[in-house]
Amino acid sequence: MTTRPAQQPATSPPAPPSPRSVTDAVRVLAVGGESGSGPLQSLRQWAADLGVELEWAADLPRATRLLAGGRWDLVLTVLGERSDEDLTWWVDALRGAPGGPRLIALADRPSMGLALRAEKLGVLDVLALPLKREALANAVSRVRSAATEVALPLPSVDPEAQGHYALVGQSPAMLDVYKLMARVAGSTATVLILGESGTGKEVVARTIHQHGPGSSGPFVAVNCAAIPENLLESELFGHEKGAFTGAVARKIGRFEQAGGGTLFLDEIADMSLSLQAKILRAVQEREIERVGGGESIPVTVRLIAATNRDLQNAIAQGRFREDLYYRLAVVTIQLPRLVDRGDDLVLLVGHFARQFGERYRKKIEALSDRALELLRNHQWVGNVRELRNVIERAAIVVSDGTLRSEHLPDELRAHEPGVPERSTSGLPTLAEAEARHIARVLSHTGGQIGAAADILGIHRNTLTRKMKEYGL
Amino acid sequence: MRVEQALRLLPNLEALLPLRGLLLSSARPDERVQWGSGGPYLTVGKRDVEPGELARSMGPVLSALAQHIAALYGAYVEALERQERNDASGAVGALVGAGRLEEKVGRLSQAQAWYEVALALAETLQDRRPEVETLLAIGHVCLALGQYAEGARHYQRALVLSEAEFNQAGAVDASVGLGNAAFERAEWPGARAWYSRALRLTEAGKDRRRLGLIEHRLGVLDRRQGDLAAAGDHLRRARECFEALNGEAALDMARVLDSQGQLDAALGRPGPAAGAFREALAWVRRDQHDPGLDVTIRLHLAELLLESGRWLEAEEEMRRAEQLAITSNQTRGLVRIYTLLGTLRGRQSDETGFVFFEQAIALCRALEGPPIDEARVYQAYGLFRQICGGPDEARAYLERAAEIFRSLGVDEEVERVEAALRNSRDVPAAGAG
Repeated sequence: MTTRPAQQPATSPPAPPSPRSVTDAVRVLAVGGESGSGPLQSLRQWAADLGVELEWAADLPRATRLLAGGRWDLVLTVLGERSDEDLTWWVDALRGAPGGPRLIALADRPSMGLALRAEKLGVLDVLALPLKREALANAVSRVRSAATEVALPLPSVDPEAQGHYALVGQSPAMLDVYKLMARVAGSTATVLILGESGTGKEVVARTIHQHGPGSSGPFVAVNCAAIPENLLESELFGHEKGAFTGAVARKIGRFEQAGGGTLFLDEIADMSLSLQAKILRAVQEREIERVGGGESIPVTVRLIAATNRDLQNAIAQGRFREDLYYRLAVVTIQLPRLVDRGDDLVLLVGHFARQFGERYRKKIEALSDRALELLRNHQWVGNVRELRNVIERAAIVVSDGTLRSEHLPDELRAHEPGVPERSTSGLPTLAEAEARHIARVLSHTGGQIGAAADILGIHRNTLTRKMKEYGL
Repeated sequence: MRVEQALRLLPNLEALLPLRGLLLSSARPDERVQWGSGGPYLTVGKRDVEPGELARSMGPVLSALAQHIAALYGAYVEALERQERNDASGAVGALVGAGRLEEKVGRLSQAQAWYEVALALAETLQDRRPEVETLLAIGHVCLALGQYAEGARHYQRALVLSEAEFNQAGAVDASVGLGNAAFERAEWPGARAWYSRALRLTEAGKDRRRLGLIEHRLGVLDRRQGDLAAAGDHLRRARECFEALNGEAALDMARVLDSQGQLDAALGRPGPAAGAFREALAWVRRDQHDPGLDVTIRLHLAELLLESGRWLEAEEEMRRAEQLAITSNQTRGLVRIYTLLGTLRGRQSDETGFVFFEQAIALCRALEGPPIDEARVYQAYGLFRQICGGPDEARAYLERAAEIFRSLGVDEEVERVEAALRNSRDVPAAGAG
């Protein structure tokens, strides 16, 4: 198994138009209703005053054609009865549209839940019908202010800054990691790498392998979370032909494949207890048995394991074997979260911008101040992996060598400064704050009400009632 | 709890199929896992399901089930009453109606059972129209189930009866059905002859919608045969027919645009192709939403992006299709999505992509859908193994695919798989799985 390899160059996308200037008219596409009548009838009267160039699309197919054919700054659409689905549909439809247009959704009586979901999706605003001039003017000014972005040169990532192991970053937290890696690399000790998703556990494992005594041997990575439980054992230990339905041929398992090298078991906490016992036996006795085979096969591998879970907690709950933990955690390396790595963020942006610039045949040399601010304000749940994904997406759509806020996903732009609170005082009401917090906790639990109720410290029935009340 | 763990506790009983569907559709991805190293390989089996939430969602599902069963029972009682009143035609209509209800919720084999009962009754009648209607319905469901020869037999009988009764609409529909049966078996000249016959009959009747549908089929046929210019003409005429219906044929329009996208892709015009697919999605959205069609169009868009080397965008589109397929219980769509995700990983030489094929095969077995779905998964899995190592497995999967295609009489696919098999014998794949 390998990590996901580098992708091939894409075919060149059509040359996008140059970025808009602050003095350009804001191009608005209004969708739905009749031009000159219906809920958006006042739009035409306000357009000239607000410096807006307005176009009307009577329905979705026409809107799709217009979006593909030109550069738009703003799309205004009236949500139908299935407002949530409409919202998701629009966010998808606008992804990658020329100019990165922002969406303003209009609804008869937008619920707080709708507003919160829209915010999470990066919708510029949800406004109530009938549309008010002031609300539109506010949105237009926010779009216009985005045109004032200043380009900052991206740092070049010199070899020293990358550290000894081709890991990008020079924050104190990463320097500690490098020191530990240097100490452990020369031995054959089993290593346990801990860290949140996307912090680079496999990169660290690979680097330890490359600088270890078994570097001439293979590095074999197994993602225990990805492989269906019923297949994981045969994936690790191999199987004999006919051992089970689907065993169409003899298969050499990962332990054997990694012979003389390193076996990296990623997401090890996702393994069942019975399989943990088999791993323990393999580690202790240095031999394995293929599924459906009676022969013991000696294996010589260095084992590196990783997880984003709290293994001590898993042990306490009886979901992870303590004896296996102590076998694996001979040396433990804890990787920092991206938000704790300070200016490494900028170095990583520079590194990925160059990497993807080469892949998509673009020269990306700068990052706008607003884009940098958005990147700094983001929570980065997916850490470096998420950042890499964001920069790759931006590299696909960037046109002139500067990554701007418009090239960043809507989820990041949702936190753009200047998004007004809904109350007139600028401070949220108690109900708004409660709704926001509930939405955040639900998002954290993946929508699981029981778990969310536990975190919030309320009964699940109370939570269900509040969700209904706020339209969540 | 993971879906794969939850499914292990669910016996494979027909009565529990709706619960299985509910389990899948209520599963949610764990946001933290999505960004983990296993995130790129997540399938529905790795999603989370919460028993409490499942319990809460059961009410509406049970209520819909009760309504469905009540409608079926009602249709049966109506058939009995009509039969008692010597209205056998009405009884056939009621039984066919029950079949259509089953078809609407994706229970194709059950629909077929209703149609067969209706057909047995219709064959005893002097009036042949109910028999034609039943034959057309059963022919349609046979094709959806991959029973091409049987479907063609029913359509043939419908055609003979329609012509004898001067039932032009029936003759047109039967001819189109025969064309579709030939098309599915890659019998291009036969398909063309049937579509052309349907076209001649329709042009006389000025039925714009039927005309549009036939032009569309001819366009698809021309594309498959490589006559892209002719395909473009047919698709243009199909669009004109549907446009004349003032938006009443939004889903037909979406299907034509979907075909237009595939044609543009074949012409090497990825920009217009993507535009056509996106407009097709907008037409689907405009009408009563058809999630199955939505998933199909998104998959075609994803294939276009995949072939253009735009892998990140291709994967995003596949994931959107996956989300839609899961929430709307489009299990067949999921099979195609996972097959394509596996193919994408194969292009990236990422061996862990095998998890998608395994998930697709598991879904095929759980679904008991048309065998052609499983054949296509094995075909793609075999090609994946050729790229990512495992020549023995590659051969085994390709042989299994060929076997299924052969049993369905799809010779063109058999030849394609056999060519891949020859290739696997000639060129030993690098590395062993």
